[in-house]
Amino acid sequence: MIGVFVCQCGTNIAATVSTDRVVQAAKSMLGVVHAESIQYTCSDPGQRAIIDAIQQKGLTRVVMAGCSPRMHEITFRRAIGRAGMNPFMLEMVNIREQCSWIHSGIDETTEKAIDLVRKGVARVRRQKPLQPGSSPVARRALVIGAGVAGIQAALDIADAGIPVTLVEKSPTIGGNMARLDKTFPTLDCSSCILTPRMVEVKQHENIKLMVNSEVEKVRGYIGNFEIDIRKKASCVIEEKCTGCLICQEKCPSKAPDDFNACAGESKAISIPFPQAVPLVASLRKEYCRLFISGKCSVCQKVCPADAIDYGQEDTVVTEKFGAVVVATGFGLYDWKQSYPTYGMGMYPDVINALKYERLLSASGPTGGHIERPSDGKEPRDIVFISCIGSRDESVGRPQCCSIGCMYMAKQAILTKEHIPDSQSYIFYIDVRAAGKGYDEFARRAQTDFGAIYIRGRVGKIYPRGGKLVVMGTDTLAGDQVEIEADLVVLATGLTPAEGAGGLARRLNISTDGQGFMAEGHPKLKPVETNTGGVFLAGACQGPKDIPASVAQAGAAAAKVIGLLSREEIETSPMVAEVNQLKCTGCFKCRDVCPYGAIENQDAMGGQVAHVIASLCQGCGLCNVACPPGVISLKGYTDNQLIAEVVEVLR
Amino acid sequence: MSMNDLIPAIKKVLEEVDVVLGWTRSPAAGVAVPARFHTPDEADGAIFDSTCIHNLAVHLPRLKNSKVGIVAKGCDARSIVQLIVEGEVSRDRIRVIGVPCPGVIDVKRAWRCYGFGKKIEDAGGRVHMEGRSVPREEILLHKCHQCRDQEPVIVDLAAGDVTSMTPPPPPDKSGIRERFAAMSITERREFWREQFSRCIRCYACREACPLCFCRDVCSMQTREPHWTGGQVNAIESEMAQQVRISHMAGRCTGCEECERACPVGIPLMLLLEEQNKIIEELFAYRAGASLEDKPPLLTYDINRDGGWR
Repeated sequence: MIGVFVCQCGTNIAATVSTDRVVQAAKSMLGVVHAESIQYTCSDPGQRAIIDAIQQKGLTRVVMAGCSPRMHEITFRRAIGRAGMNPFMLEMVNIREQCSWIHSGIDETTEKAIDLVRKGVARVRRQKPLQPGSSPVARRALVIGAGVAGIQAALDIADAGIPVTLVEKSPTIGGNMARLDKTFPTLDCSSCILTPRMVEVKQHENIKLMVNSEVEKVRGYIGNFEIDIRKKASCVIEEKCTGCLICQEKCPSKAPDDFNACAGESKAISIPFPQAVPLVASLRKEYCRLFISGKCSVCQKVCPADAIDYGQEDTVVTEKFGAVVVATGFGLYDWKQSYPTYGMGMYPDVINALKYERLLSASGPTGGHIERPSDGKEPRDIVFISCIGSRDESVGRPQCCSIGCMYMAKQAILTKEHIPDSQSYIFYIDVRAAGKGYDEFARRAQTDFGAIYIRGRVGKIYPRGGKLVVMGTDTLAGDQVEIEADLVVLATGLTPAEGAGGLARRLNISTDGQGFMAEGHPKLKPVETNTGGVFLAGACQGPKDIPASVAQAGAAAAKVIGLLSREEIETSPMVAEVNQLKCTGCFKCRDVCPYGAIENQDAMGGQVAHVIASLCQGCGLCNVACPPGVISLKGYTDNQLIAEVVEVLR
Repeated sequence: MSMNDLIPAIKKVLEEVDVVLGWTRSPAAGVAVPARFHTPDEADGAIFDSTCIHNLAVHLPRLKNSKVGIVAKGCDARSIVQLIVEGEVSRDRIRVIGVPCPGVIDVKRAWRCYGFGKKIEDAGGRVHMEGRSVPREEILLHKCHQCRDQEPVIVDLAAGDVTSMTPPPPPDKSGIRERFAAMSITERREFWREQFSRCIRCYACREACPLCFCRDVCSMQTREPHWTGGQVNAIESEMAQQVRISHMAGRCTGCEECERACPVGIPLMLLLEEQNKIIEELFAYRAGASLEDKPPLLTYDINRDGGWR
């Protein structure tokens, strides 16, 4: 007793598919007792018509031909549930996204729609009623990455009374925002607005902060993640260290200063910056004299708190979480290989904007005095070049970094404030300043601070007599430009943070073409991912500025709070099931199961496989691994899929 | 090798197992036939020679609940290892008696050339058949020519010195493999269409294969799921066989039993050898080569970068 309902979706479907012909064809399919076409099946009258047909004709199975199940499967499950049917006796046939929207000729498109409906009918004929289960929710959230987005998400969740573990892979929280001098368009001091929040994180009773830590292994599913977090040995006992900095002072081993974008030099044992949270030193073994040559241990001798432990080992903590927020932020595009005409890093005075930001910062290596890296001289003529590794098809990076135009304007303004007789030149493609107060700000850089904007790209940079000659095009004047600069600042594009791809795989979430984490839906699910219970905040999802990151973090926190305010969540009934009579007990299914959902059971006179339904996520790996095919996914049995294939090929 | 090593070995193993799988001689044809030895008296009939072609590992999954001794050539031992790796056989229930193998002869080919059922005798490096004789290496099974497993992977008790054997010479270059390799894709299609048109769906290939342990839920026959039809025609038969062969990916040890058992002579090893080669190139994995290796298609780990352990 199958009913087929063909949605016209206004003209979305009806313009290229003859729904009447689909209805006619459906009526002759095996098992179909009712078929009709409805203008909007998802509307109230549309759902009413479906319910009426179910009750009048005694339908037991329903095929909905319309949009993608991602749009409305839930709607129609509920509708047929209201009509008294088992909600899972429904098959969604996508004749919109996969048919009417992508083809033009009405005859071919209709024919394809009929094929798809026939496939759906064959499948629903073999469908069995299913009952959803439920599973308890672990009331703790994990936030990965403690930049401004991670900090905001952690604070919002913790303020709602939910315990949070905040994991940060570097020795301090704060992320990239902590490295900025000022923020556009208000020129607020970046650390002045960020550090209070960092301190709040440290002091919040609901936040457990783990620095030097990374997510290593993820098991489980929405409401019930079990996650291994590796805390890397820092050779410093966090509870004992007082942050007195004596070790850093006395340490004889130099090391690159990552926090200052290598604008200065640091030590093998160090605290990245004075406002670091936690204010605890950590040691980098790869630069430490003791670990390289076996002789030193100065820090241990001078430490007044007895906090140095060279034998410290990594520890792995396993915890249960109900939800995860990914806030891993961004990295900077490495321009050196792709722009050979800019010197490939051979000219010390061609630097990226983050390094320049550190030169501007009062807490930076130069104490806020702008000194160019080559000779420490104060620069007079400074050239900014936009879109390095952004909007540039020639290096395979078509996307806009979305913040470059704004931070170039900001840096030009700050430069003028630092060195009143300096001159900034900005090579740009377009000035993109679409936020609140942004365009006014970018204009002020020109009108009030005298920055000269040149529309065009720079072809070549080369040194001449202590200066850098920047050769570019002014496309508005149609002219070649040559500027003798003291310093060149490149507005490099944003990339996903290092290691983001591996983390995405561990969390089983998708990434886009550039490696940024993919949101669930570009319009309607901007903070969700395709894995339930995993949410996104900040630049890990795509380049964005601080207010957008903070807003997204708040949104992700709201989703987490909503999820974790429930005691139980409904679990999908589409889980694996073993035909134990026929199981040969090879346990390949158990070995491939990523969720540990299959166990040995004594039955049928030997050891056979058994599915723990509450752990199964319905991924189907076991179905493929089982040689005799006796483990199958409810609602997606091999016979249902074979029947679909047979009908499409008919 | 003399039976002086083998028979005592079987008797010794019988002290701790219920049954030993081995060979005895068929009085009529002179060739070896598989036998089960339950008592020391029965073990006196045990033999090992170059007609012991069968892979006795095929019986192990069916004897899951007994302690079993098994006489194994190097190649057979790989099947045993693979069965252990896949959890079908438990290591502590079996005792492997390793035998030094000089290579086994293609009895079917010998009979085809010299008369079916003729009495075969292997002596002094030559195979004698009622008056005629040929050098043994001329009628070895194909797999023996490329043997890499003269020393069994697992041995509990060695009957004779397994390491003393010299490897057989490579096969001559006029066989079906060379002809097949020279064919175009279209010719290969035709070739297989013709080969499978002779299939009678007797499933001897499956029954002879030690790794085909799905019992009555074999994909070639089951209707739940209904992968292939049961009709005896080239398309259905080929489809059924292709499913079997793809289930062998990363599992086939190349023992050639399916091809040997085929009553209509379909050269199944052409497909399996190619697949085994691909698996070895892609994953550096030979099925049954080690108890520690994980089969490549069972190694997906979602938590690792790239997914492969």
